[in-house]
Amino acid sequence: MAMRYLTPFRWGRRNVPAGREGEGYPIDIFQREMNKLFDDFFKGTGLKPFSEEMESFGEFTPQVNMTEDDKSIQVSAELPGLDEKDIEISLSKDSLTIKGEKKEETEHKDKEAYYMERSFGSFTRVLPIPKDVNTEKAEASFKKGVLTISLPKLEKEKQSQKKIKIKAG
Amino acid sequence: MAEPSKSLKPEKAQAQEATVAERTKDRRTYIPVVDILEDTNNLYIYADMPGADDRSVNVTLENDVLTIEAQVADVSFDKHNVTYAEYGIGDYYRAFTLNEPFERDKIEAKMKNGVLSIILPKAEAVKTRSIPIKVG
Repeated sequence: MAMRYLTPFRWGRRNVPAGREGEGYPIDIFQREMNKLFDDFFKGTGLKPFSEEMESFGEFTPQVNMTEDDKSIQVSAELPGLDEKDIEISLSKDSLTIKGEKKEETEHKDKEAYYMERSFGSFTRVLPIPKDVNTEKAEASFKKGVLTISLPKLEKEKQSQKKIKIKAG
Repeated sequence: MAEPSKSLKPEKAQAQEATVAERTKDRRTYIPVVDILEDTNNLYIYADMPGADDRSVNVTLENDVLTIEAQVADVSFDKHNVTYAEYGIGDYYRAFTLNEPFERDKIEAKMKNGVLSIILPKAEAVKTRSIPIKVG
């Protein structure tokens, strides 16, 4: 069982897709469910103990999805209101960093605000990459406020996922 | 500092969120987050709708209800497994009740990088004016 699920100050930290620890073990699933229960209970109340909510209050953090098939890993992030020029992506052997700043469209001077649900500011997100990828061939596109990054897997990774045939005896 | 008009009360501008009892679509619908600002001449609405297609965005004003709708193109990777997901993909819908007349013909809406901006110019009749006091 991963230690980070047991340390209270880590509750509510964004779970990053680091490997696949404990996948499938009932006790881990139970542990995660319990932590989620606590997280959901305190969600939005600002009362969560050891919470990250207070630190990051009002700041913009993009949400990320990650999918993969046998050839590549696709990472997409919601970045509404950003320009491709405002986004910086860097890739190292085992992590992907997305940096940027979300700016407001208009100055608040002389304006009265009724609703302020959106958040702004600069952000950095570091995502561990669970597999070896070909950093040379990584591609990124930005459309309609959604950033999509494609990371092709290395040949040896592709091969390592080969199916093993069973010979009939 | 311009004098903010007192006629548009925040509680009146409250969102009337989709309170449909029955879902008529097989897709998820999200309520976009918005900022609403006002100055002496206009009301500004900014809505974050990442992934929404420019052509699918629909802004309608019926009587005094302003509705924002947008469809998001389905980006599914057929043989891809989801490793990690923080956001869901679906359409957007949100409606607001306006309790102040606006210049209906001059409402502007623009979609850029997943952000919808709407500018509603106030009708002449409701603009705040300062009345000069004559010295008698």
